Amino acid sequence: MRPFEYLRPTTLAEATDVLAEHGDDALVIAGGTAAVVMMTLGVLRPGTVVDVGRVPELGGSRADGGVLRLGALTTIRSIERDPAIAQTYGLLAEAASQVANVRVRNRATVGGSVCYGEPQTDMPPALIAMGASATLVSSSSTRTVPLADFFEGPYETALEPGELLSEITVPQPEPGSEPGAGTGGCHMKFTIGSPENKPVANASVLVRLDGAGRCVEARIVLGALGPVPVVAVDAAALLDGEVPDAKLIAEVASRAGDAADPADDLRGPVWYKRRIARVLVERALRCALRKAGHEVP
Amino acid sequence: MPTLEAAEKVTGATRYVGDLLVPNMAHAKVLRSPLPHARVLSIDAAEARAAPGVVCVLTRDEVRAAGIEPVYGFVYRDAPLVALDKVRYQGDIVAVVVAEDAAAAEAAAELIEVDYEELPAVMDVEAALADGAPLVHESFSPIAPELRPIEGTNVCHRAHIARGDVEAGFREAYRVYEDTFTAPPVQHCALDLHACIASIEDGAITVWTNCQSPFPLQRELQRIFKMDARVIVPYVGGGFGSKSRDRLECVVTAAAQLAGRPVRLVLTQEETFQTFIRPAYHGTIKTGVRADGTIVARHVRFTIDVGGYAISGARSANNTLKVATGPYRIPNVLVECDAVYTNKPPSAPYRGLPTTQHTMAYETQLDRIARDLGIDPVELRMRNLVVDGDVHITGDLLRSTHAKECLEAAAAGIDWGTPSTPPETPSKLRGKGVSCTIKYTLTPPTRMSENGAAISLGEDGIFEVRIGTVNIGQGSDTTMAQFAADGLGVGLERIRVVHSDTALVPVDSSTTASRSTYHMGNAVLDAASKLTAETLAVASHLLERDAGDLALGPDGVEAPDGPTLAYDELVRRSGGPLSALGECVVGGTYTAPDGTEYPIASTFWSFASAAAEVEVDTDTGEVRVLRMGAASNVGKAVNPDSVRTQLEGGLGMELGPTLFERLVWDEGGQLLTAALMDYPLPTMETSPTYRPEIVEHPFEGGPFGAKGMGEIGSVITPAAVLNAVYDATGVMFHEVPLLPHKVLEALEAL
Repeated sequence: MRPFEYLRPTTLAEATDVLAEHGDDALVIAGGTAAVVMMTLGVLRPGTVVDVGRVPELGGSRADGGVLRLGALTTIRSIERDPAIAQTYGLLAEAASQVANVRVRNRATVGGSVCYGEPQTDMPPALIAMGASATLVSSSSTRTVPLADFFEGPYETALEPGELLSEITVPQPEPGSEPGAGTGGCHMKFTIGSPENKPVANASVLVRLDGAGRCVEARIVLGALGPVPVVAVDAAALLDGEVPDAKLIAEVASRAGDAADPADDLRGPVWYKRRIARVLVERALRCALRKAGHEVP
Repeated sequence: MPTLEAAEKVTGATRYVGDLLVPNMAHAKVLRSPLPHARVLSIDAAEARAAPGVVCVLTRDEVRAAGIEPVYGFVYRDAPLVALDKVRYQGDIVAVVVAEDAAAAEAAAELIEVDYEELPAVMDVEAALADGAPLVHESFSPIAPELRPIEGTNVCHRAHIARGDVEAGFREAYRVYEDTFTAPPVQHCALDLHACIASIEDGAITVWTNCQSPFPLQRELQRIFKMDARVIVPYVGGGFGSKSRDRLECVVTAAAQLAGRPVRLVLTQEETFQTFIRPAYHGTIKTGVRADGTIVARHVRFTIDVGGYAISGARSANNTLKVATGPYRIPNVLVECDAVYTNKPPSAPYRGLPTTQHTMAYETQLDRIARDLGIDPVELRMRNLVVDGDVHITGDLLRSTHAKECLEAAAAGIDWGTPSTPPETPSKLRGKGVSCTIKYTLTPPTRMSENGAAISLGEDGIFEVRIGTVNIGQGSDTTMAQFAADGLGVGLERIRVVHSDTALVPVDSSTTASRSTYHMGNAVLDAASKLTAETLAVASHLLERDAGDLALGPDGVEAPDGPTLAYDELVRRSGGPLSALGECVVGGTYTAPDGTEYPIASTFWSFASAAAEVEVDTDTGEVRVLRMGAASNVGKAVNPDSVRTQLEGGLGMELGPTLFERLVWDEGGQLLTAALMDYPLPTMETSPTYRPEIVEHPFEGGPFGAKGMGEIGSVITPAAVLNAVYDATGVMFHEVPLLPHKVLEALEAL
């Protein structure tokens, strides 16, 4: 690892000032679970490391007014374990519980897992499926970007030099309007070897049903299957107003597989990753429907 | 029983080489070749030498100027300390930067300018054997007499072994089967990364290292530097063969000589991938059987990809000629091998290599034969397995085999004969498979002692056992303490073990090839017996009693009716510590019943079986191993806990290369699986349940009848899993790892 300057701001204003000053040469670090590995391997060679772990404005999470606000420093483990999140934002908790291993989850932050921009990680598909947005602050401005628009390429995001992700907001899923209706979410991944490894693919599915079991809303987001998370809009649209059966689920899964844009790499060839995308979407959709109160035989 | 150092290890108190500090030591970083094969035209290290904190830079110029031997190796003298004229794989050592700290050394290494002339590379055996292939080495320099290179090619060793008439055997066969199996390279991934510290003081070298062969390393240091050398090996956190031969120690010693102060080098995990790997295997096996399944002939041809330097790959290939046809009674056999240089990193043994791949080949093919002939796989093996009194293909008379009992015990571990419980969904399939193996241990060509052990009784009344065996996590200190305690007739609390310091312990060849329990165990028992006699003689004199009336008791020498002479007092009164040297003589020839003299090919032969039950997901191609049974005839389990965990550890470790581990290079010779994030390892979450069973039939000549067993769990794993997948899906796989996309592809081709 090359020597670097280490800065540890203690307020948000100080942090954004430091970033404004160092621009591209600065690497923001929080939990360090990705950054330290990348620095050790020499992939990242920052001149300045800005540790934002002691910036109080970036911490804390709360749900109010129909919105969950996750401070950037919220750990993956706390998302996994928070009963309030599990109750209303179950998909997030489920994705969080599948990130790497418990040692990583204890250190890694939600802000970091998003800003890292790694295509294989679990949180972005779940957050996008939940309709989350990121708040980006700099010394001179604050803006909000839907996470669906935040990722621009592998390890590339909408963050401009000098900007810092301060918070992720997640709207509360609409509760079913009629008796028996419900919302269900499911996150699944497929890894080779151990669940800690980078997955071949992952998938987040969120569905909302009305009292008749008709699908009134569906979101399907795939990870590790393209340079950025893939929102399978066409596949999800097949579910609109339908009572899903096995045939429809298979069609949705197949369409989602077509939406995937995977690359041939150590985790498998393109045809195989598309296949896995279909299998995961089919399984995750069935699971989400079951949670929403609709079991498909 | 738990190992003696268990508490120290689990509390983190154990110090490994990477934890050691030597006063005034500097830190080294290696500059490695970015190319798999290139001529080194020039090296300019001026800027690096002037960089902050840099002490010195070792390149070929400094090596030549130092007047030391520039090339090393145990079986071929083919590995330069640092690149001389060429680099032979991506990651080959070009220069060593020594600085005040590792970060300064790393930064300075980037400042070295190397001008390469890229040469065409041969990245696998096929390319290396092609007509007109570029030569990795232009000439050969074998040291070991059994090695036979083919001049003008990349074949650094070609050999064969035969018995009977294999062609005649095929002619009389009812059916003949031929299959080709392959396995890619993998890395051992020991937790303890390669590390060493070298210091030269008063004209003598001291090296602290985690090498598994301290004495051969000592001799190599003495040869290269022409000065005395001491090698100290503290506890080692796993090696599995990756540390069986030195790779860094001579280089770091040269750096220490140049620096004029101690130098420390600790590799990163990524660098271990460029240091020693398990070689690629390619084997074709042809087997002829009678209609009842009796094997009448077997022909095995295999190649081993030894990489850029044949530091040990060629000898591994040669050694496994004698086990490539399996633990079966076959009248006509022929085994041929080529060990071939390529532009991959040097190869090293990997927990039994390549016996593992041979076993995969002959055992998977045997299941094909079983299906074809309609014979149960266990039954087919029972009809062919060797028994005591059979003659092996080497001419060795086999004894303490009990291969059939091992198979029965392993198969029972997964309820062989009972169908699998149905999986949760019809898209998953379950199946069961078994495997059997035979393994050798390193055996010298002539009768000699390769192991010594010393035991001394000191003024503290403690028996100090001094052994060259490296404590690499296998529990050797505990096993040797048990031998000493039993041999002397005292309790374990009276024993202290000192291990692997060439200045303190007698010569030992290496901690490899499952050899320590047998060889060092015998040496310890020999020393214990001699020290007992000496102690009783001294006590007899002091007590004025006949030595025959005395015996070693828990706290001192006891007379039947008299007082105990405490050990500490005995030593004080006798004028100093008592000491004895034990040895274990092996090798040579034996005389067969018909009067023929045969060289002993292996001091003992090990037998084991595994059984696996798997579940295959036909949607994803994923193979999960649900449970495994295994059994080995260990002669005598000295420490049954250690035996079972060694067996289990071997099974679990080998599941990685069976299911998903493999090293991959691109066409340009660049390693793609360069870090653990792209090289998955087995973890507890996906581990099956294990039923390791001990089979005990004392081996005459072994210490309390014990044989070695450190590697055999690994050896039997791939075949059992492949056969279980075969049973579950009807698809016979000819390669590992069973990557899910390959499994899915094969399932869909049905």
